[in-house]
Amino acid sequence: MSYLNNPAIVMDNGTGLTKLGFAGNDSPSWIFPTAIATSQGSQSTSSSKKLDTSMNMSNTNYSSSTTATGATSTGTGTNKNSYYAKSTSATAFDNLSSNVLLSNNLAGKRGTEDLDFYIGNEALIASQGPSYSLSYPIKHGQIENWDHMERFWENSIFKYLRVEPEDHYFLLTEPPLNPPENREQVAEIFFESFNCAGLYIAVQAVLALAASWTSSKVIDRSLTGTVIDSGDGVTHVIPVAEGYVIGSAIKNIPIAGRDITLFIQSLLRERGEQDTSLKTAERIKQEYCYVCPDIVKEFNKFDRNPEKFAQFVVENKERTSKKIIDIGYERFLAPEIFFNPEIASSDFLTPLPTLVDQTIQACPIDVRKGLYNNIVLSGGSTMFKDFGRRLQRDLKSIVNNRIAQNERLTGTKSTGVDVSVISHRKQRNAVWFGGSLLAQTAEFRGYCHTKQDYEEYGPEIVRNFSLFNMV
Amino acid sequence: MLHLPTNNTLLEATLIELNEAWLNNAPLVVDRIVSDFDHTTLHLLTPDNENRQWVYLSIVLMTWSSLCKCSNEEFLLRYIQSKFDKYNNDSDNSNIIEILPKNQTVQGYNLTLRLDISKLNNQSITDLSLLKTHIMSYPFQLSFQKFNQLSAMEVAPSNDAVSTYRMQYREDENIYIQPSNDRITVIFETIFNDETDKIFSKVFLQEFVDSRKRNRSIQSAPQVLFSNTPPREIINITTNQNKDVDSKFITFVLFPRHFSNDEIQFKTICKLLQFRHYFHYHIKCSKAFMHSRMRFRVNNFIKVLNRAKFDSNDDEENGTSSGQLDDKRRTITGRKLVY
Amino acid sequence: MSQSLRPYLTAVRHSLEAALTLSNFSSQEVERHNRPEIEVPIQSAELLLQPMHISRNEHEQVLIEPSVNSVRVNIMVKQADEIEQILVHKFTRFLEQRAEAFYILRRVPIKGYSISFLITNKHTESMKNGKLIDFIIEFMEEVDKEISEMKLFLNARARFVAEEYLSEFVY
Repeated sequence: MSYLNNPAIVMDNGTGLTKLGFAGNDSPSWIFPTAIATSQGSQSTSSSKKLDTSMNMSNTNYSSSTTATGATSTGTGTNKNSYYAKSTSATAFDNLSSNVLLSNNLAGKRGTEDLDFYIGNEALIASQGPSYSLSYPIKHGQIENWDHMERFWENSIFKYLRVEPEDHYFLLTEPPLNPPENREQVAEIFFESFNCAGLYIAVQAVLALAASWTSSKVIDRSLTGTVIDSGDGVTHVIPVAEGYVIGSAIKNIPIAGRDITLFIQSLLRERGEQDTSLKTAERIKQEYCYVCPDIVKEFNKFDRNPEKFAQFVVENKERTSKKIIDIGYERFLAPEIFFNPEIASSDFLTPLPTLVDQTIQACPIDVRKGLYNNIVLSGGSTMFKDFGRRLQRDLKSIVNNRIAQNERLTGTKSTGVDVSVISHRKQRNAVWFGGSLLAQTAEFRGYCHTKQDYEEYGPEIVRNFSLFNMV
Repeated sequence: MLHLPTNNTLLEATLIELNEAWLNNAPLVVDRIVSDFDHTTLHLLTPDNENRQWVYLSIVLMTWSSLCKCSNEEFLLRYIQSKFDKYNNDSDNSNIIEILPKNQTVQGYNLTLRLDISKLNNQSITDLSLLKTHIMSYPFQLSFQKFNQLSAMEVAPSNDAVSTYRMQYREDENIYIQPSNDRITVIFETIFNDETDKIFSKVFLQEFVDSRKRNRSIQSAPQVLFSNTPPREIINITTNQNKDVDSKFITFVLFPRHFSNDEIQFKTICKLLQFRHYFHYHIKCSKAFMHSRMRFRVNNFIKVLNRAKFDSNDDEENGTSSGQLDDKRRTITGRKLVY
Repeated sequence: MSQSLRPYLTAVRHSLEAALTLSNFSSQEVERHNRPEIEVPIQSAELLLQPMHISRNEHEQVLIEPSVNSVRVNIMVKQADEIEQILVHKFTRFLEQRAEAFYILRRVPIKGYSISFLITNKHTESMKNGKLIDFIIEFMEEVDKEISEMKLFLNARARFVAEEYLSEFVY
């Protein structure tokens, strides 16, 4: 076959961020918000024209060395930080002000509105102008706007990844409990619009489990475990038994990355710091926060040991003015809301370890040991230092208490339950990485449905995918 | 997006990332694949963990062997190196961009460039991201030279004297370039596997042929011809005798004004090399747009059909109640659980 | 609208009105089964009514097959050339893929027709007959319009794309 040597494409379209890349790489090639800016039709074309003329290097005309290199270099020069930057935040604070966009040259041309759009960071930039409106086609992990999603993929494939879909196999991800109709619609788009060579749709939680195989703590490559997936929007606890998600037991908590940022922001505001922007709060979260074993002791430590307080310097873009922000208890207090939600909220009071325990207890009894045994972290909000260790300790004490109580009541000796939380280096993009890991194996193509299969059996073929049984 | 970018945006972004990381004193170690159209794979690799200044950029193309046949591999390599020589003017001995000798080429690749990541600038990065175009421009350059020779001759050369360059850029698909004394003919041989694509492509190709006649403003563009059988120029050299393959031939006739100076030459080459991707991309866009239309229609039909129901106001009630439910879903900071 | 379309649609409308007189009818063959008799492989002649065939021309025809508790409406959509053929094929397949939402749409058309509807007594009990017929008539009108619009779009897009490509060569 002609596409033997081409790497498979791994696409993880999340609610906030999309990760695109090639199987075999250790990190996604592109990470950008799952956002699309579509033109708002004929209204206010003048402004979009301005955008056109301001940056009239149409995507194609590279001009050789002599004349227009000025244009090219300004292009790449000024937007170095803007849309090339691999933002880790769904809200992408990177210099959006630099409105350098590769022009579409389509404004005002009738009948081509469907080509006039931007995705990812370019979409965030474009939407600041009046002629484009921004939307997020994925809500709660599921695709809501298929028109936008189809165009999002179209641009991802041809512009960002530069591949001819006919030559490549694709691995896509879906949230747990995705209705099979949605899978069929995905297949319809990928096989009919794009003619992709082959397609595999994997559940995100299963891929996160696969990603944990890189950790040295993992001995057997099983697909049984509990995935704690915490991104920007929401945190899920998903039990997976032998590659199948136990849908009835999935639980989620309304605490995620965005809430931690907001909590830090509120603390900064209470103290009256000089800069309390969301951007600053997010930087502090990413660079200074960690999980402590015990808050009371940690408070004491801070009081005895003032070096624990950090300072954070905010410079404006021209580096002319400096603002110094003190960082105090929020270093450990912010991630603490996972373990003691009452410090931030009065509505939701269940700590994460308790919820994990409840989730596992809601599963069939014969898989519970395996679920306690292999708790895998995934997503950016699980990246805090010692997050895994604290979770393991808290959960262990819950489990041990129950065992002790059980032994007291029944009088029989328990064999014990081993609780282990696995954190690994690929945690941030665990789902994508798991996909990359699986899609580079030789067997991967065998598990895919090909275009021929699709044409023979129709879209319902994607309702079932055989699982990877990797030993 | 109307036109696809000519250069490889991902390669460009990765090189910028590497360069910036170096400038920020946090050099990265990379081992990454980057892909491009027509079975092209690029690979970035830091060969030496200790000395992260050097990065190997390797490329493998499907056309490589046919490119080598255009003259020979040594000339081809020299040609590619010449494209980057302007960045190597620094007096010190180590070149910024240098082709490694054949025996040091990374396994599985046709060509490896050694880059000095610390000395790249915007312009050289842009040029590197055009690596594939630079490589594939080789037979075009040969044709331009040949054209100059032929056109200088007094007597028109006989047909035997003209040489044709062939680039096999995909399985069963070729580009033929034939210089003569007053024009250069570029012929694309292409196939479509999908039934829908075959029919759509007919409409598109017909428009490529017709649009030049119809629209006065593009009169000076190359003439486009389209046929289902090999054109006269290449009838003797088409390798594809396989009758099952339903090849289409698209001919572009370039006149001297399309390659009158270096800059225009390069632009023309870029455009021509984009042809297949551009064409396929737009067929896919059309299909995507039709899907959008059909989704719209389906929703309309469903609305009409729902009007037929006896208790059609049930739907609205459901709609509002689920809306309320949606409102209730909030995170602990009071943020609505929606994007 | 061309001269013959109106009478054609009127004929379909009246035929449908006549055909949509359905009643609940339990299966005679299998106890406690209730199935659309028109779809039963071995049919009992007494349960089927005379099929009605309305033809505007050889490309546009409707076949209405009534039975005691179900009616099958088969529509042949105009397909003048291979572009229209592929567009009709794509469109009907797209609809059939979403048959769940359409209640009365048959997932597979009867051989020789582009698309089929199956209306049973359950449908006529929960939906207004007149509106159901309106839907089918509107569907027939819209499909033709949609196909020709898509064809026009394809041509316009092809022209636009070709001109844009070639205009890059104008120096």
